[in-house]
Amino acid sequence: MSLFDLSPAAHPPAHPPASSPTVVAVKGLEKSFAKREVLRGLDWNVPAGRVIGLLGRNGAGKTTLLRCLLGLSPIDGGEIALFGEPMTEPGGERMHRIGFVPQTFDLFPWMKVRAYLDFTAAFYARWNRSLADRLLGEWQLDPKQKIGQLSQGQRQKLAIVRAIAPEPDLLVLDEPVASLDPQARRAFMAELLELMRGPDKTVIFSTHITADLERAEADIALLRDGRIQFTRPLAELRARLRRVVFTRESGWPQAPVVAGLLKAGIKGPRAELLVEDPMPESLEALATREGATVQIETPTLEDLFVELA
Amino acid sequence: MRAVWQLSLQLWRQMAVLVVLAGALWLCGLGLLVWSTHTDASLTGTGLGLVAFGGWFWHIGQGQMLRGLCRPEIHLLPRFRARLAGAGALDLTLWVALPAMVAALCGMPHVVMGAAGLLLITAVGLASGTGKRVGLFIWAGFIAVGWKPHLAARVVDIAMHSPWTPALLALAAVLVFRLALRPLLRIEDIEPDTSPLESTGLGRMQSPAMQGRPARGAIGKRIQGWFDGMAQRAMERALAAYRRHPGTRQRMTLIRSLLLPHDNPEAIALRLVLVAAIVGAYFFAILHRPHYNAAVVGAYAVLLSLTRFPQLGRGMLRMRPNLADLYLTLAPESRSEYQRTLVHALLLLVPVTVLSALAYTALGIVLVHATEPGRMLLTAAIVGASASLVALAVHLIGPEGSFGRGLVNIAVVLGAMASYWGGYLLLGLLGVELGGALLALVAISFGLGVWFAAQREYQRRTPCFDPPPA
Repeated sequence: MSLFDLSPAAHPPAHPPASSPTVVAVKGLEKSFAKREVLRGLDWNVPAGRVIGLLGRNGAGKTTLLRCLLGLSPIDGGEIALFGEPMTEPGGERMHRIGFVPQTFDLFPWMKVRAYLDFTAAFYARWNRSLADRLLGEWQLDPKQKIGQLSQGQRQKLAIVRAIAPEPDLLVLDEPVASLDPQARRAFMAELLELMRGPDKTVIFSTHITADLERAEADIALLRDGRIQFTRPLAELRARLRRVVFTRESGWPQAPVVAGLLKAGIKGPRAELLVEDPMPESLEALATREGATVQIETPTLEDLFVELA
Repeated sequence: MRAVWQLSLQLWRQMAVLVVLAGALWLCGLGLLVWSTHTDASLTGTGLGLVAFGGWFWHIGQGQMLRGLCRPEIHLLPRFRARLAGAGALDLTLWVALPAMVAALCGMPHVVMGAAGLLLITAVGLASGTGKRVGLFIWAGFIAVGWKPHLAARVVDIAMHSPWTPALLALAAVLVFRLALRPLLRIEDIEPDTSPLESTGLGRMQSPAMQGRPARGAIGKRIQGWFDGMAQRAMERALAAYRRHPGTRQRMTLIRSLLLPHDNPEAIALRLVLVAAIVGAYFFAILHRPHYNAAVVGAYAVLLSLTRFPQLGRGMLRMRPNLADLYLTLAPESRSEYQRTLVHALLLLVPVTVLSALAYTALGIVLVHATEPGRMLLTAAIVGASASLVALAVHLIGPEGSFGRGLVNIAVVLGAMASYWGGYLLLGLLGVELGGALLALVAISFGLGVWFAAQREYQRRTPCFDPPPA
């Protein structure tokens, strides 16, 4: 049973239990810009109560996917449902159950921080003012400062405060920590995890900083070739994927073929393989047969991302 | 050379309409210069005048473009200054050397002086475009001519016969170039961005290229501060009202305070006072005539009040990514409801424009001692209402590109001015009551027709939150 087999029968979700409602359901999503296909019949289900890290190379379509999910970008085909309702008309009070932090958020540069938050809060039935005030203080955001005078990182912090304050059931963040310093990134991740302690709270965030995904113990969703290739808990990826390195002085005309091979590459005397559920005995036997040594390593998430994306 | 060419192309890429118009003036000017050799020699002056006029406009655009271009990062480009100088040389060849050469070949007298004059006009245009006050000197010249025409004629007569005049003009041009260009080539911190929909009246005619780099001195910054304070207070009032009574009207006021921060009563009053001060000084200085054509005053008032809309069109494009946040905040039931909310919020601009047109016309009436104030005010109100409906409509659904928008702006403004003149004549022919009723019937019907059609189309469209095309 492969990690990359996307059929539901092949992979009953390990987390959360089957009774969790689906927050995001995407079927056959298509989206093109001019003649460039970005999303090609993408299927994706996100159950409630999970933190999902959306990974993908630059230009893979992460931002497009997130914007399409929220109805901020028109789609060319397929279906999207949020909280069980189709997004044919992406509106209504359920939008207040969503928090969104876009990749670049200019906000309203002429407004002061406090005025902006007050304005936004006025429209929400649920707005955690004490949380917003606490975060403003902790993240050293001056409520009297104009947004235009904030640095890019400070604007990002403000956008996060704005997204978290309504205590959304679904938080969608597009590279939210790219502009943050390490302290702010850790503080943000801590807030995120705190928020996630509530029942049925779901977070989807795209990032390139894999350390944050590891800290959040997120499920990893890989977007490649216009489709979600897999969505799996990080622990499962860690448990099942290994990097196998065969070393032989005479080099390798071609990489050895082993069971569960996902990707292979040759670097001089080393043949580096990414293998799903490797069997150490058979790898040792193969190494002996080929006159090579073998090392089995646990790859970091960044290694996995580099190999798979 | 490729870098020089790319720098020279920037104006075309950012202000295509201006390039076409100024280019047409340049061609007509050169054409007249050549034509004058076969027919009337006096046409050389007209030809050179057209080139000067076109060059002035062209360099206002160049100044605006350069102000947007010369950000600190641009200085990282290899030999940027040298290449900018190359583009400048090409530009001066086109607008000074070539016309002067053609004028010399056509046998025009005082060619050197003409060339030096072209150089000075070029420099003053550039300075105006970059926001330098030295650009106001050209207006000082007009004021002096208007105030003391005989003295001005005498000065010109003496200058024409002085061998020092070309050198002095060239020297002045160099000085103005230096004043305009030095700050651009200095690395400075960029000022915080302003609202794309701001309406202080301070930078409304600035080009999109200057976005984020408003040319403001100490006074401008202080006025901007007043406007921002008013916007802040208006939003606080709207918030308080909404918290007390969270009704539809209060909600709309709150949304308007966000989208149109400077269209609250205080800011409108301040804007009117500022414009009145500037227009008053302008009229007293150069256009104060006892029998000044009233239709011109009213048409100019309508034009002035309509300058809000091109900026609205640009601003709405710039606002797009931010509006995603507003969309999520408002949580409308449907896309069309969201579009309808925006349309209703922006509709406030129609009464604001009519009020502005009336205020400016009233100011003009006082300044020119107009004999038929009622006729002028009624025409301004009707045409202002109709034109603002049409302008709002075309900027909601009109073209996104700067060229298309530029053409639409010109069509709307010229159409509104022509409507004012036509309406004013109609009221004169048929009387205020009958003429007014007929004008209202035609103009308002047209305005409402365009508005309702555009509104329907806008609501039919899917909201777009993508950044505008570069």
